[in-house]
Amino acid sequence: MEPPKIWREKRERYLAVGIKCLDCENKSFPKSEVCAKCSSSNVEEYKLANTGKLLYYTQVTQTAQEMMEYTPYIVGIIELDDTIKVTGQIVDCNLDEVKEGMLLRMVFKILARDGDEGLIRYGFKFAPS
Amino acid sequence: MKHKVYITGSNSTKFGEHYSKSASSLATQALLGSINNAEIKKESIQAAYFGSLVSGSNSQTSIGSTCIRECGLDIPITRIEAGNASGAAAFQQAYFGILSGQYECVAVVGVEKLSDYVKGGTIEKILGATIDYHWEFEMGATLTSLYAILTKAHMKEYNTTLEQLAAVPVKNHKNGVKNPLAQFRREISLDRFLKAKRIADPIGRFDPATHCDGASSIILSSSQFLAENPDITTKVPIIGLGHASDTVSLHHRDTLTSLKATRKAADQAFKMANIKAKDINVAEVHDSYPIGEILAIEDIGFFPKGEGGKATEDGLTSLGSEISINPSGGLKARGDPFGATGLAQIIEIVEQMKGEAGERQIADSNYGLTQNVSGTGALTYVSIFTREEVKK
Repeated sequence: MEPPKIWREKRERYLAVGIKCLDCENKSFPKSEVCAKCSSSNVEEYKLANTGKLLYYTQVTQTAQEMMEYTPYIVGIIELDDTIKVTGQIVDCNLDEVKEGMLLRMVFKILARDGDEGLIRYGFKFAPS
Repeated sequence: MKHKVYITGSNSTKFGEHYSKSASSLATQALLGSINNAEIKKESIQAAYFGSLVSGSNSQTSIGSTCIRECGLDIPITRIEAGNASGAAAFQQAYFGILSGQYECVAVVGVEKLSDYVKGGTIEKILGATIDYHWEFEMGATLTSLYAILTKAHMKEYNTTLEQLAAVPVKNHKNGVKNPLAQFRREISLDRFLKAKRIADPIGRFDPATHCDGASSIILSSSQFLAENPDITTKVPIIGLGHASDTVSLHHRDTLTSLKATRKAADQAFKMANIKAKDINVAEVHDSYPIGEILAIEDIGFFPKGEGGKATEDGLTSLGSEISINPSGGLKARGDPFGATGLAQIIEIVEQMKGEAGERQIADSNYGLTQNVSGTGALTYVSIFTREEVKK
């Protein structure tokens, strides 16, 4: 994990901020300098809705070393109330309680740990609402 | 010569575990093998294209140059990276190199050396780079988990069953028995697939293709080169090419039951070849997971949307049936050394067009197709081949 990258993406990772185009009103995540639809640079930061529903999910049993301590965990595609879709983990519930269509809220968690003395990477996950 | 660019030679190493060989030595073996197979002097090769996903980017760049030195050649070589589809991407660039008029005879080599990555999680991280590394992989998803989601979406929309999905690797392992270069030359029963532990539900332990070592190489020549070298016996015309892309991340897509890049690439290739999906007799498609093959045969247009699973279960894609899908054993039984895979697919079709596929030979096949995919469909390359004299 590279500290400059985490720093650069801190508003997206820590505050779930994307962009909204002031010309065509398209909302998108993650952030970019220009609108992904009309290429206008007339964009402003936009805070994603913090609730949504689970569209699809599965479990992860094998992943990169720095995330292995959390396995097995559930990962899925979540459609937020503002229609933006993101990929994230479903936490704070038993694996068998996870269902398609369940309502979720965004929570702030540790995502990965680079060994005992390395960097901790934070970001959003989802919990039942 | 009716066509512009031909395949005039090919060679592959066996796919599997080559602990005693480096990536460049595997590439050298395949490249020299393909020159030998083409029965040309190695000085005839004017340029080379090198396809790999990770070999040549982690500790040593420009390994194409090492391979060229080991081959005793003095020609330009360009490495091309297009994720898991790097082999097909390099092949298409080689085609354009000839079509541009710059070269008359070129080589394309694809390689991957994956058995070196023994530490847990390393392969997952490499594959994490073929999906959205920042917003899928770092958020907790893996390539396998995203294919599980693609599988679930298809099961939900079209009632595709686990039995239909498992019919894909059962068939491919059966074909792989007949392929001397395949990593796994044994059958696996349907029951074994169905009873395997789920690693990312509904994907079971035995469903993914294995990541292994291997290299493949192909020689391409212009019609002019063939006219000047009448002794060349391998002449497989390349008649259709297509390449399309899609969002890297699944969450940015409108549909999860179809790969847009495959549909677009296939449309382009069919248009260029001036034939239709029903004209194809044999195809090698990207079955890195069972759903990959089902999506491929639907999106290319061999079967209507939603009927790929049933068609496979009913044996319509088995060797010698309506259309033979993955007669080589596919990625599943042949093994998947990423950069070499796209070329190994093409080599299988070349052998089918030449009538030299041995026990796997499909009678009277006039047209063959390959489909090579990166990630969950971020890039797809489709190529179509025929034989010099099409049988009526």
